[in-house]
Amino acid sequence: MFASSWLILLFPLLGFIGLSWFGSRISEKLAGLVGCGTVGASFFMTLVTLSNLLFLPPEERVGHVQTLYQWVSAGSLKLDLAILVDPLSVFMFLIVTGVGFVIHVYSVGYMHDDPEYSRFFAYLNLFIFSMLVLVAAADFFFLIVGWALVGLASYLLIGFWREKTSAVLAARKAFVMNVIGDVGMVIAAFVIFESFGTLSFIDVFAAAPGMFRPNDDTMLLITLLLLVGAFAKSAQLPLHTWLPDAMEGPTPVSALIHAATMVTAGVYLIARCHVLYELAPYTMYFIAGVGIITAVFAGSMALVQYDIKRVIAYSTMSQLGYMFMAVGIGVYSMGMFHLMTHAFFKALLFLAAGSVIHSLDGEQDIRKMGGLQNVMPLTHATFLIGALALAGFPLTSGYFSKEAIILSSYHAEMGNIVFWAIAVLTAGMTAFYIFRVYFYTFVGGLRSPGAHPHESPGIMVIPLVVLAGLALLGGLLGPWVDSFLAPVFGRVVEHHHNSVLEAIALTAGIGGIAAAGLLYMVSKDRMDLLKEAMAPLYDLLFHKYYVDEIYDFLIVRPTKAIGVFMEQKGEREGIDFTVDQVGLKVKEVSHGISLWQSGKVRAYALNMVVGMVTILLFVVFM
Amino acid sequence: MGEQFVLLISASIFCVGTAGFVIRKNPLIMFMSVELMLNSVNFLLVSYSSFLNSLDGQIFALMIMTVAAAEVVVGLAIILTIFRTRHDMDVDHIDVLKG
Repeated sequence: MFASSWLILLFPLLGFIGLSWFGSRISEKLAGLVGCGTVGASFFMTLVTLSNLLFLPPEERVGHVQTLYQWVSAGSLKLDLAILVDPLSVFMFLIVTGVGFVIHVYSVGYMHDDPEYSRFFAYLNLFIFSMLVLVAAADFFFLIVGWALVGLASYLLIGFWREKTSAVLAARKAFVMNVIGDVGMVIAAFVIFESFGTLSFIDVFAAAPGMFRPNDDTMLLITLLLLVGAFAKSAQLPLHTWLPDAMEGPTPVSALIHAATMVTAGVYLIARCHVLYELAPYTMYFIAGVGIITAVFAGSMALVQYDIKRVIAYSTMSQLGYMFMAVGIGVYSMGMFHLMTHAFFKALLFLAAGSVIHSLDGEQDIRKMGGLQNVMPLTHATFLIGALALAGFPLTSGYFSKEAIILSSYHAEMGNIVFWAIAVLTAGMTAFYIFRVYFYTFVGGLRSPGAHPHESPGIMVIPLVVLAGLALLGGLLGPWVDSFLAPVFGRVVEHHHNSVLEAIALTAGIGGIAAAGLLYMVSKDRMDLLKEAMAPLYDLLFHKYYVDEIYDFLIVRPTKAIGVFMEQKGEREGIDFTVDQVGLKVKEVSHGISLWQSGKVRAYALNMVVGMVTILLFVVFM
Repeated sequence: MGEQFVLLISASIFCVGTAGFVIRKNPLIMFMSVELMLNSVNFLLVSYSSFLNSLDGQIFALMIMTVAAAEVVVGLAIILTIFRTRHDMDVDHIDVLKG
């Protein structure tokens, strides 16, 4: 039935290998064609798999494990190269390969004339392959393999412009942060193997409800350790600082990895392991709490940033917070639905921002933009659609997914009024900051005199239009997503209606847009007054709550100090000194002994005679 | 000739050879001292061969003489070569193998 599904993973892998080996010898055109073609083929195979899946009745769609090869069989440990085909993994395949394909096409234009064009596409294909490994994994082992591989691909792509110091530093930071998460995942896998004797998803999830009662220590431990990985990968507090810095990478990378796919892996993980999380309601509350706090925390930082990509990056964190809250309160399919619509509109926003940056020769400061709506009509229109979807404007895709989550934060079993209130506040902020960027960038007059902005080439604009279509109409897929994913989560998610709450949330969104318009369009002088009036708060937000500084003070500097101390006291005065002294002493002693070898024959002879006489006397008289 | 007399003679010759080898600096004289030591042993072997009515001692003496002859050939060759290269026959100056 799904015998050919593994081809989904094969194509990007082949693309990566091919482009790495022959990349320097093939033309830019061919490299682009290979890069896009493999992902396109992968997307096609995903559609084939999807249609196969849809032919089955809903209850038979789960748990199809396609074993390709029995890799390790040692005692009770069995690891197979296998892929899991069920609605959840196919759903993720669709997003990864679909949005990935669009972004690959966009990259053909964006990276045009880059000297290392084929290396870029090789990395992109590696990323797609890694992400597919992550979502196709049928056990925790390959989940971690994929998890680490996407971290690697992310590292390579953030640091793609390796001659740029800030990019290399950002790549390193992202990698270190993600490795913290990987460690949590690996320990979680150990604990799982210790308690269940297997790593396979299906076996673990089947055994868990019978073996543990809710909130058992083991369950809490496993879920919290998995959560470390999820938080690191999805940039949730307190492991979030790498995501804004990751914007040093090329913009298609930000769109693909740091908006649409990789950062959502944490949400996927929780949805995938929902059986375990439902046995740990405390962890669920924790997830929802951290999610909503991250949402408002990131949203508030986005209010004052001036780098167009950073604003969108904070917005990504904030939207991921919504998704975490959704899975935390148990409305998984709403979380996954928001994941999907977010992939559409956030990729769109990033790519549109990339189009702006491209036309302004790398300028990312929104204070130096402005008035681009006339010069770049298509980019302007698509960015506006993305912004509206992000703000949750009625009938756009973001409206359906976000509204559902906000309502559930109050109505769901685990929801409460505090979650709801923060969610609404964040929705208002979201609308405000994205329209602040919109007004800064596209309205008014250009504030950068030397620049000659121009509309981007067709190969960049077409992906924008495709994504804009999805961002606009993706909301219609909501009911389908709910019913498609229901077999995985074992129930159909309950939608609530409460016109008062809906109206308040909607007002917050539109109010945010209006406030941005008022502040940045109508009365610009008020903005400075407001900034001065709220100076302490403004500074706090502008410096990102000083989290980087706190980490620097608490972790980086002590670690460095220990390193310096160990280098001087431990290494030089301890180890080096001891080794040197041992060497010197041996040398001294052996020099003394070597004096015996004088080279004088008569001395040797005399020694010999004396020795022999001594022995003789000894033998005779003793 | 009694046994004691033979032993005394042999020991005296051996000691003379040893002293000569340790004291003299000329390699040729040192060589002769070595021969002296060897011959003191030969003398002993031959004498005891006659005392004990056994040919073993004489056979050993013949073998020692053969080996000594071969050794002299090699030794003289080495001494000659050293003299040709260094023009100096003092063994105390030949200490290239000093540690």
